Amino acid sequence: MARDETLEWGAPRRPEKKQPLAQRLFAYGGFDFPFMLIVTVLLCVGLVMMFSASYVNALKHENDAYYYIKRQGIFAVLGLVTMLGLSKVNLNVLRGLAIPAILVAFALLAAVLFYHTNFGEFRRWLPIGSRANPILTLQPSELAKMALILFFAYAMEKFQRPSYALSRDAGLISGRGTRIRRFALRWWSTGLYMAVLLAMVALIYLENHISGMVITLGIGALMIFIGEQRIPLWIYVALVGAGVLVVMTVLKNPSILPEHAAARIESFKDPMSDLQGAGWQTYQSLLAVGSGGWFGQGWGKSIQKHLYLPEPQNDFVFAIVCEELGFVGAFVILLLFIALVWRGFMIALHTKERFGSLLVIGIVLQVGLQTALNIGVVTAVLPNTGIPLPFFSYGGTALLMLMAEMGIVLAVSRVSREIKR
Amino acid sequence: MAQRGKQTTSDRLFRRAMIVLFTLIFAGFGAGAYGLVSVQLINGAEYNAKAKESQLRDTELAARRGTIYDINGAALAQSASASKVYINPNSLDKAVNKAEILDALCGELAPILGITAEKVRRQAGYVKNNYMALQGQVDIGAMEKVNAFRSQELIVQERTDDPDYPDGIKTTKATYKYYVGVQPDIIRFYPLGNLAANVLGFTGAEDIGRAGLELFYNRTLTGTPGRIVSAKNAADADLPIDYESIYDPVPGHSLVLTIDEVVQRYLERALEQAKIDAKAKAAYGIVMDVKTGAVLGMACAPNYDPANYQQIHDKELRARIASIADEEEREKAFNNAMMAQWRNGTLELTYEPGSVFKTITFSAALEEGIVDQDTHFSCGGSIRIANRTMRCHKQGGHGPQVLAEGLMNSCNPFTIWIGQQLGVEKFYKYFEGFGFTEPTGIDLPGEYSPRKGVNIHAQENMGIVELASCSFGQSFEASPIQIITAVSAIANGGRLMRPYIVERELNEDGQVVRQTQPVVRRQVISENTARQIRVMMEGVVVSGTGKNGYVAGAHVAGKTGTSQKLSDPEGGYVASFCAFAPADNPEVALLIAIDDPQGMINGGQIAAPPAAQIMENVLAHKNIEMRYTEKEQEELGGSTPDMSRRPVGEAKSYLEQAGFRVQVIGEGAGVLHQIPEPGQSIAKGGLVILYTDGSESNHTVTVPKLTGMSINQASREAAAAGLNVKLTGNFDSNGLITYRQSIPAGSRVPLGSTVTVHFVSNIGVIDSAEGGDTAGDAVEEAAEPAED
Repeated sequence: MARDETLEWGAPRRPEKKQPLAQRLFAYGGFDFPFMLIVTVLLCVGLVMMFSASYVNALKHENDAYYYIKRQGIFAVLGLVTMLGLSKVNLNVLRGLAIPAILVAFALLAAVLFYHTNFGEFRRWLPIGSRANPILTLQPSELAKMALILFFAYAMEKFQRPSYALSRDAGLISGRGTRIRRFALRWWSTGLYMAVLLAMVALIYLENHISGMVITLGIGALMIFIGEQRIPLWIYVALVGAGVLVVMTVLKNPSILPEHAAARIESFKDPMSDLQGAGWQTYQSLLAVGSGGWFGQGWGKSIQKHLYLPEPQNDFVFAIVCEELGFVGAFVILLLFIALVWRGFMIALHTKERFGSLLVIGIVLQVGLQTALNIGVVTAVLPNTGIPLPFFSYGGTALLMLMAEMGIVLAVSRVSREIKR
Repeated sequence: MAQRGKQTTSDRLFRRAMIVLFTLIFAGFGAGAYGLVSVQLINGAEYNAKAKESQLRDTELAARRGTIYDINGAALAQSASASKVYINPNSLDKAVNKAEILDALCGELAPILGITAEKVRRQAGYVKNNYMALQGQVDIGAMEKVNAFRSQELIVQERTDDPDYPDGIKTTKATYKYYVGVQPDIIRFYPLGNLAANVLGFTGAEDIGRAGLELFYNRTLTGTPGRIVSAKNAADADLPIDYESIYDPVPGHSLVLTIDEVVQRYLERALEQAKIDAKAKAAYGIVMDVKTGAVLGMACAPNYDPANYQQIHDKELRARIASIADEEEREKAFNNAMMAQWRNGTLELTYEPGSVFKTITFSAALEEGIVDQDTHFSCGGSIRIANRTMRCHKQGGHGPQVLAEGLMNSCNPFTIWIGQQLGVEKFYKYFEGFGFTEPTGIDLPGEYSPRKGVNIHAQENMGIVELASCSFGQSFEASPIQIITAVSAIANGGRLMRPYIVERELNEDGQVVRQTQPVVRRQVISENTARQIRVMMEGVVVSGTGKNGYVAGAHVAGKTGTSQKLSDPEGGYVASFCAFAPADNPEVALLIAIDDPQGMINGGQIAAPPAAQIMENVLAHKNIEMRYTEKEQEELGGSTPDMSRRPVGEAKSYLEQAGFRVQVIGEGAGVLHQIPEPGQSIAKGGLVILYTDGSESNHTVTVPKLTGMSINQASREAAAAGLNVKLTGNFDSNGLITYRQSIPAGSRVPLGSTVTVHFVSNIGVIDSAEGGDTAGDAVEEAAEPAED
């Protein structure tokens, strides 16, 4: 696939004339209303269900049934404001943030390895305040994901033309260099994306944050797949095939893995075999989901949230949703997430600017991947890795981050052709 | 899908984005949807069932146990709600201040529950358990105190692994309810204490009948327990939400017994006294309605308190056990005594019926036409059967006797001779017929069931020697209930009844669901034979060995018995008296058996007097008319006429003319009150006090000791004290000695009160060789029961 791309559109030409500041900072035109509606509905349903799932735990551990919902509610309101605010941002501002963001992200990812909260084995939280009892914690990996999306979208727009052609245009090669040089000049952008992605994934791995690593890797790989089109499709097919093969082999013979990892796999394959630790949570989750049946126990009537399912407000909130609303309710929520992803892709694919397009795809992929993985974990289709469910799981900064991303999608939607018919 | 025409992205980007989108939707969300379908719809029921296992608390609601009433509706056994108190040793163990809390439990809770501090500590030691019972059947009064204790505030400091608590200690404010729980329980009351204890039995843990009627009718009384299914959280506390479903319990049925509380009281009081008088190990008694087989009273002395069945009720026995020095021995003795007191001896005691059985032999012979009233037999003091000599209890023999005299004297050779005339086959027919080879079938547990070769002879193993000993009630065993049932058959015109104790069964609304119909097991002897035996048995009481069972006007028929205990390795005797009255139309039968008496051992000496006392009371209670002979009438004296509101002079002269002595107290003109009260019978020449000023409460006298003397002496003593005396007993004999007075010596009673004095005779009441006024062995080499 070495043929040169025929460009349909390229990077926007630099404005000839300097625009007024307001026009450079803000986006104009209407945003995509259906997308905002889906986000709002998910946010509201998420808050209500998180409250239902959390209040027993809140009462027991914090002596206040509204402990979690109060905090989550505040962040939800802040999030809505942030979303609407960011929806007005001009894409040029975001372009300008891409490089600083990725640098800050790497800096924080590196810093957290040395300065982190002392919650067990995990090195993923950056404390603000004292280390033992911080006022606020920051997960650099959350920021890193967004920074990666931003950077990839920026770079993939900027280096959208084949790097070989770019180099030639820039006079870097005179038509006949060495093979190696030509190869390097041809593939350096692809190499850059991979290097950035792998470095980031490696740092997150060092934080002992497997779920963050999986999501980051997923988003990055898919963005490269979509945005860096030089790599032919068959290579991806081969890679995916190999990956599936490895997973199947490991699942069949967990003993080839180190002992503790093998135990995790065993416990995933049969949650009832290991009712301590993670297996216990999965088992209780299965009991909750299974108790839901077709129509559920009714809102607020989960029994599993009564201290059976540990921390039902966090990663396993969807189990309580399943128990209370049943298959019908859970499936409707699943459809809402699919609608969100679908609408996001539609916005992306009808955006003139490649940057905006890839930005939206990255953000929506993140939401979609997290949702799919979370539901997989709750129903024990996937091993328990600790991925929160967007809009539902408790976590103020994560919700704020998510709403900011939704704001960016809305900002892009203002320049999307779909809504400007 | 987006319209291609409006597409603004490059083809390749569009294509690849679409691949990603559809992969995400179908693979990613598809996996989630697959998970939901699999877990919720396909395996949902299974997971739900597993969840319910841990989420639900299935509490059993005890059904109210049925009440046991006597025939007149007095409650004998009743259930009431109570509570069970338990602790959570697991939580307690996590507490930092465990010692402090445990001290509070031991110091405050234990005394309320009536348990020892050691028990609390022992139960608290099971630290892996969340539930250890401290005490069940705690009544409402005590529960108030328990709940007051439980409501006290408490700072719970628990050790925890929860990372939320960096110092590993979680502190919460709570109450003692955190450690002390309560659940419903049921308590069984026996409102009349130990009355009829051996009949009623008792309930053990879980409200299950363990003895007596409580055991036999456990299913009927228990009912169907209900259930409360409620949700609980993982910490085992009830959920604040309404998840409960309740299945109501169905209360048990109630039983109305044939037992009459009044009769039972008479029986128990007399047995208790008889046991003390005879220095016996125990005394047993049954009162039966001869026409139906209904048991009116059934008692053992000593008995026990069903509410505290694990305590030895008999004070003397308790003291004796407590004085045993060796702990192991003491415990063993205690356990033996506890088991012994639970036994219903009227069903379980097995002894040789002895002379009481002679009535059966005589009945058989009369029925078979082998003897008649004119049959003569001369008792020379012994009889030779095969190569053995069997002696009469009277040395030198009774001489020539007709049939009635033979029974009256309880003559052994006469009875043996009759047995020999009957032969084994015919004897065994009646032995079986009167029910000596089978249990009676009374609706109580633990009845003795005879086994051939062990307790009784099998017919094919019965030779003439065995026949001889069996014919006068030796060499086989029977239980009191068997004997009274057999004798009642004679009283009931030859019809052998199945004795029963439950008259009817009532459902929770008090409706009768079952009424017991008397069952005639068989006609053993003819009405005519039965009548002849009854006449002969009345003779036994009027002038034979049963004369101490005599009750004036009651026409008591009876038979005494004295026999050795075969099965008891320690030996000893059983003195018994079986009687019924009135002889011509019997209503009530009665059996008294005194186990292992010391000193006097003959039934006629020690069992007949209490029997007479019971019979007199029971007949009066049952309103059975007394028919006095002229002689009895005379002995009884007259009844006092009503003199109230009559002028003193007139009253005085009227009474003196009627043969009473009169004493006037007070200055009034008219009679205000008289003692004895009008209509009481007192002896001729008895004293009547007429009060004219209402000062009767100021005139009291001390009752002197009136027992252990001749009846004349007793009369004199009573008169000297200003008391009237009513003598009861059989006047038609010699050597009368007073043995019991109705008002204890030393008590103060109004002047002129009547003291009833019972008297007995110890002459001519002996039917065994030992301990009486004759000496020598009754039976030499009495045949032993076959070994197999």
